[in-house]
Amino acid sequence: MSEAVQPAAARRLRVSIRAEDPALAAELRAMIVAAGHDVVEAPEEADVVMTDAHAGTGGFAAMNETEFRALLTPREIEVLSAVAEGLTNKSIARRLDISLHTVKFHIESLFRKLGVRTRTEAVAKASERRLEI
Amino acid sequence: MTTDLLEQFSAALTARTAAVRGAVAAIRLSETRHLTGTLWQPDVVVASEQSLPQRDEFELVLAGGAVVNAKLAGRDPGTNIAALRLERAVSFLEISPGEAQAGALALAFGADGAGGVSVRLGAVNRAGPEWTSSAGGRIDRNIVLDLRLARAEEGGPVLDAGGQRLGISTFGPRGKLLVIPSATVDRVLPELVREGRIARGWLGVALQPVAVPDALHEQAGQPSGVMVMSIVEGGPAAKAGLVAGDIVLTVDGTPTRSLRRVATQLASDGIGRKAALRVIRGGMVLSLEATIEARPAT
Repeated sequence: MSEAVQPAAARRLRVSIRAEDPALAAELRAMIVAAGHDVVEAPEEADVVMTDAHAGTGGFAAMNETEFRALLTPREIEVLSAVAEGLTNKSIARRLDISLHTVKFHIESLFRKLGVRTRTEAVAKASERRLEI
Repeated sequence: MTTDLLEQFSAALTARTAAVRGAVAAIRLSETRHLTGTLWQPDVVVASEQSLPQRDEFELVLAGGAVVNAKLAGRDPGTNIAALRLERAVSFLEISPGEAQAGALALAFGADGAGGVSVRLGAVNRAGPEWTSSAGGRIDRNIVLDLRLARAEEGGPVLDAGGQRLGISTFGPRGKLLVIPSATVDRVLPELVREGRIARGWLGVALQPVAVPDALHEQAGQPSGVMVMSIVEGGPAAKAGLVAGDIVLTVDGTPTRSLRRVATQLASDGIGRKAALRVIRGGMVLSLEATIEARPAT
């Protein structure tokens, strides 16, 4: 009985990562290296550019306007800033001196207003609404 | 001469494509990758700013394969225009500007990287009015094309059926193909080439739209404003006494209902002007005055 033929070694690819979230970028980097490929900085030196789906909507775009019912409250923005720092709900409750229940309430409201399902998406979506001037 | 209309149409397209070669340049990014630029003047090439790597020197491949070095002359993320200055003037095809009309045929050209051109045929999907980009630039027309472009073809000229130049191609969100109108390039290019950038009004803040808390509605006199998310140390807003967490209600008496309007109010002609800000802080309404400065080079 003969051994199954091993597939030929895959081509070693140069991959450039474009992810705004540093945690996600680190995760992807580890994956790529583990699979035997190289991570390069400059996209023009890469064979493949890996773009995170939320930051990756990219492209030259018009300024977003937020509908009134989707506007965040100052408290929600505070909660979101803490989420962006990677804090857990418990730490957010402690920092803002509110109950865990209230934190969860704010986060649900944030998700609904921003139309997102994860904390990372919420942070990305909210930053799209920002104007630096 | 054939009388077959389709053949005539095809022959007209090939003739047009051959002629446009002289307005297209490949901007080399690596051995295998390039971007397209459009020759705007004998020694100036215009490209799509968002896709041009942060570099000072580039190698360009012109029609026929001649290689010319170019230096970055300026970039403006606001209008998504970058200008490269060639080391020497070259002969180029000057194309007169045209106005986009929805439904008109459009030809988008790209460089093939070896001195030739590639071409795409489609329609002007939309020719809307002026708009403001998320980076705060004013774009004279909202031109959307009904065609797909390869990454390397971005930045090439887009022509109408009469051979007039609508502008240069650029990618919008989700691969949508937009045109930066000729009028916008012509308006921005002189200052861009002279100064290396386009001066824009600057307060040194990041603003985010926010709902005014119910308890403060009456005092604020409006349901929404913009919250100061961060503030640049020593910037105009910081000097005016603005702090992170403040909610700006009005700029010069105009409610900050839309970010677009705030951006327009602080546009380039505002540099040096004083802006009156009405702000909520800790439940109190304050009046502050900031002097708009030119955005520092980054």
